[in-house]
Amino acid sequence: MIDIKGTLVSEGQGGVYNERMLGNFRVWDPYRSKLAALWYLDKTTALGKDEVVLYLGAANGTTVSHVADYVESVYAVEFAPRPMEDLLAVAKKRKNIVPIYADATRPVRYAALLEPADLLYQDVAQPDQAGIAVKHLPFVKSGGRLILMLKTRSVDIRKSADEVFADTCEELTAGGYLVEKSVWLDPYHKDHAAIVCRKR
Amino acid sequence: MHWYGEAGNLSTDPAQCEERILNTAAIPSVLCNWEDLREAGLITSREEYIRAVREVAVFLAVKGIAADLDTKDAALLQMVRTLDEMDEVINLLTERVTDWHAAITPGTSHKYTRANGPRLVQKIAKSGSPSLKRVAREILSLSGVRTDLMKEVSREAVSVIPNMSALVGGLVAARLISRVGGLDAAAKLPGSSIQVIGAESALFSHIRTGSSSPKHGIIFQHRRVHNANKEVRGKVARQLAAKLAIAARLDLYRGELDAAFVEQANAKIDKIFGGES
Repeated sequence: MIDIKGTLVSEGQGGVYNERMLGNFRVWDPYRSKLAALWYLDKTTALGKDEVVLYLGAANGTTVSHVADYVESVYAVEFAPRPMEDLLAVAKKRKNIVPIYADATRPVRYAALLEPADLLYQDVAQPDQAGIAVKHLPFVKSGGRLILMLKTRSVDIRKSADEVFADTCEELTAGGYLVEKSVWLDPYHKDHAAIVCRKR
Repeated sequence: MHWYGEAGNLSTDPAQCEERILNTAAIPSVLCNWEDLREAGLITSREEYIRAVREVAVFLAVKGIAADLDTKDAALLQMVRTLDEMDEVINLLTERVTDWHAAITPGTSHKYTRANGPRLVQKIAKSGSPSLKRVAREILSLSGVRTDLMKEVSREAVSVIPNMSALVGGLVAARLISRVGGLDAAAKLPGSSIQVIGAESALFSHIRTGSSSPKHGIIFQHRRVHNANKEVRGKVARQLAAKLAIAARLDLYRGELDAAFVEQANAKIDKIFGGES
């Protein structure tokens, strides 16, 4: 990961979402992107140059654009039509993004498009976030990573964030992942945890 | 299945690939491998593979978005949201203009002697300071647009969601589907959810703290709910919401008025409204 005097940046053509530039580098804001927040809190989660990433919950493509600056290719899945239009616009400028318009709870519908991924990155506002990660296990190379951005409030607002977190880790372990570490994304994002796993 | 087909039958043409992708029934045990295409001579490099898979994915996405956004309730949703936002703007401006008027006109600041909003705006539009007068006129003209838009919403709703409109009137029906984000979302809701659409804060406070549950949300705006006696209002709301859930499904899947259903439903609701049950 590239940082300029403590500011996380990525190298690429700017003007995706009015992001700030430092020379030829695009500033990656931890308050807007959970992956950037994770890097600020834990510098060991780097993206590799040769990695193939499967990105679930791509939304408008802001974080996707930064990921694409770092890795070999990104398969970005999004299912809401309006954000998808933005994502398509982002993908027009970045030739290593494969934008997939589909529902991440039904991987069969786009299974035919995917390659084995080095990294599964998941940031979806769904109740069954652990279940979605487990369903995508076949798309992860053995030894590949999962970074799950857990929105605890999407899972069950009646449970506390810690309870949801514990339940999710348990489900991931039962589903074939090895939970390596977890980081709460305070102060950048409230009630969000990043769970880093490896495929067993 | 792989998007580019199997050995002996490889291609990267989007239309053919679409069929393969949609016909995939299970996650393949061996995922796509770009070398398959290179060995077959269809591409020469990894970049070309990504370019080809991108083309297929974009083709599908553009097609899918067009299909999902082109529903006949899309225009109705925008209309009803515009209407509700215009209401807000008109109320806000009316309040401001009456305050302004009170501040510069002696003897009108007392709460109980002040004329009501809309009538006062009409008065101000005739006599006030020049700018104030113009703002008041704008409010009146906005109100005119609002009235026309409301009629159009009702008309449009009768054609797009005929069964729901027949039960609660076009305006309330349109507001219901606008709140949940569309007719297909509404058709998937149970009656009990439709009953409390628009009363979310009361509902969640009920779930969290155990305070009494809300009896009605947006459907309160329908006359048979708000005019009902207090004892039967909840019953009317429940029955009406149950029938609305059925009506939403009729509207989505059949799209035309089912007179027999509407008559039966209305009879049942009227009976509860009248105090029999």
